[in-house]
Amino acid sequence: MTAPVLELPPYTRQSPEVEARFHKLKKRPVTLDVNRLTKVFSTPQGEVTALENVSFALHRREFMCVIGASGCGKSTLVRILAGLESASAGEVLVGGESVSGPGPDRGMVFQGYTLFPWLTVKQNVMFGLKMTGHSEATAESEAMQWIELVGLASSAEVYPHQLSGGMKQRVAIARALANQPRILLMDEPFGALDAQTRAQMQSYLLQIWRQVDITILFITHDLDEAVYLSDRVLVLDSDPGRVGELIEVPVPQPRNPRQFLTPEFLSAKKRLEELIHPQQRDGEEDRLPMLRMTKVGDDVV
Amino acid sequence: MTCSFLLPLALWCLIAYLPVWKSEIRISLSSDANNSDFPTVYVPGDHMEEARFDAFRAAVRQDNTDPQAAETAAAGRRANKRILRGITPLALAENWITPEQEKDYAALYTVWQRIALGELSGGLSQENLGIVSENWADMSAVSPSYNSRNFPSEPLLKLIPEGKSEVKRPLFLPAPHEIIARASEDFRGQSELGDLNVWGRYLVSIRTIAGGFLLVCLVGVPIALLCGTFSFFSRLIEPFVDFFRYMPAPAFGTLLIALFGIYDAPKLALVFLGTLPQLILMVANTTRMLDTSLLDAAQTLGANRKQLVTRVVIPGILPNLHNDIRILLGWAWTWLIIAELLGVKAGLTEIIDTQGRRFHFDHVYPIILLIGLTGFLTDQFLAWFRGVIFPYTEQGISASARSAARVLSKVSPLRLKRALRAKPVTVAT
Ligand SMILES: Nc1ncnc2c1ncn2[C@@H]1O[C@H](COP(=O)(O)OP(=O)(O)O)[C@@H](O)[C@H]1O
Ligand SMILES: [Mg+2]
Repeated sequence: MTAPVLELPPYTRQSPEVEARFHKLKKRPVTLDVNRLTKVFSTPQGEVTALENVSFALHRREFMCVIGASGCGKSTLVRILAGLESASAGEVLVGGESVSGPGPDRGMVFQGYTLFPWLTVKQNVMFGLKMTGHSEATAESEAMQWIELVGLASSAEVYPHQLSGGMKQRVAIARALANQPRILLMDEPFGALDAQTRAQMQSYLLQIWRQVDITILFITHDLDEAVYLSDRVLVLDSDPGRVGELIEVPVPQPRNPRQFLTPEFLSAKKRLEELIHPQQRDGEEDRLPMLRMTKVGDDVV
Repeated sequence: MTCSFLLPLALWCLIAYLPVWKSEIRISLSSDANNSDFPTVYVPGDHMEEARFDAFRAAVRQDNTDPQAAETAAAGRRANKRILRGITPLALAENWITPEQEKDYAALYTVWQRIALGELSGGLSQENLGIVSENWADMSAVSPSYNSRNFPSEPLLKLIPEGKSEVKRPLFLPAPHEIIARASEDFRGQSELGDLNVWGRYLVSIRTIAGGFLLVCLVGVPIALLCGTFSFFSRLIEPFVDFFRYMPAPAFGTLLIALFGIYDAPKLALVFLGTLPQLILMVANTTRMLDTSLLDAAQTLGANRKQLVTRVVIPGILPNLHNDIRILLGWAWTWLIIAELLGVKAGLTEIIDTQGRRFHFDHVYPIILLIGLTGFLTDQFLAWFRGVIFPYTEQGISASARSAARVLSKVSPLRLKRALRAKPVTVAT
């Protein structure tokens, strides 16, 4: 006997406002253009194709999430976009110009905490500004504005080890934004945070995105996070990493946590689930082999 | 922590004071017995088993009660002069005569006189004081002042040997109280070490290790940074360093003497040569262990190659470099001891070497302890200092280091610069 399952609208059905929004979004100039990107790693065990023919475009001020199973090449993709890794084939255009190495036009927030431990919060945020030739005084005043934006003005003189994980990632965001990049690349930035902090950080990020002229490419493997944050979700297939589908999220903007249980949200999430775990049919569970030594009483199941 | 120091100390005391070591007499005043059982001449400082010492004294007393007249007057005078000289070690120790007067019979003659008159005693036993008086009576009867021809030839009385009972431990195991006594003499420059002034030597040693170590850091750390940062330099330098490390630095000792002479330079060079390979490999490894994601982050923030090295690699490895330096400094001390034996021996090692050769371990141990203590305290200071210069590291930073760091940050160059740049307030007139 199975419980009745909620009937959901198709994830492609969009309300008129949402449809109008996507129409407008696609008219905006393309900030990031990824063209038939391929990445092959040569390892002692042979060649590993991490990405194959990945193409997509990001419009100005768009928020896109990239989702996919672990090991499908998400980090590789974002590292190539940042210029930290070179592509085997294909090209990446930012604002129409081909990129070949790291540059301050693409800011990045990493999954691990990458604040410089020997610098205070303020000095961390000033780092990029100083690298790009700003004077100490300008760097300081600009850094303070970004620190205020992420709500850490009172911790400006504190060293990173005194901050909580969520605060560290807020500083990392401020540090990346201080260079005023066109694109903010985020590789599972909230992956190490607990659920509550994570939810808080998500709404912080959305607020920042609304206030700042920034295009965001956000890597995650969390379905709720992907649907909640993004305009569109790029699903990467595993082995090799290919574009599975580019989904337009039918949930209206601006987002708020109450939308988590709306039919549009759930339909989008269901579609993502199907794409990421395609082998799993309804009512079918992965069965663990029965372990010897275990005796389970009937009343437990 | 205190326990780990007290334990070995307790063990030392236990072994040294355990009643397994025999007592022996340390002779303070000797004499010679006309007895075939005691054919050798014993001098003050020699040790003798208690029973044998008693027999020795008995033999001398026997000589006194049954004096044998010499065959000729000259032989009698010679024997008597030997008795006269018997007082010399005591007279020297008590500063009754100067070292130059050691062979001066006239001076010794007066010493006998003054003892007999009760002006001096020097801890002589009643028995010996009596002997001195009797002898003096004979001597002054012949001549009131020294005259080599007018000297009694009838046998004088021999002084009875004196000595103190002492626990006789093996040479390598002086008791703690002996070490303390010896150390306090040595370190105050009041000992037989004489011109081997401990603090002077100490300064020489410190200078050598500080100079050598500074040099090796100045040369080695930049090389290691290059090796750790760029694989090109790593492949160029590290394989050879790895090989060189296995050629013991002291093996180059004679070469260093040929190159740099026999004084300070070869010693500095050995400390340098011994520490360099370890330093390069260790610091290069530390550099490689720097979290690469910090380099990634810096690159996405627009840092170029040079900025990566100066703004990320160097500040990033400093705390670990500081640790490496602490370990390497310990090794440098090892090299120092070997280095100071090169050419003209110098520094504390000279004391250890010369005193050790004579089995004067009671002089050697305080020096070894001094070296150990210096190394240990330097290390403890550096550990504390870590908290002062790296207040951002998480590991246990003492409260005193934290407050020192706060003071330091108030006078940091950045703040000073800013304070100087600030416009002076102009007072409206
Ligand atoms: N430097 C590398 N050398 C060899 N293989 C790599 C390297 N980096 C990633 N890979 C491989 O590429 C694939 C994708 O990795 P990654 O991009 O980290 O996945 P994700 O971030 O989606 O979990 C994996 O199979 C991984 O083993
Ligand atoms: Mg990843």
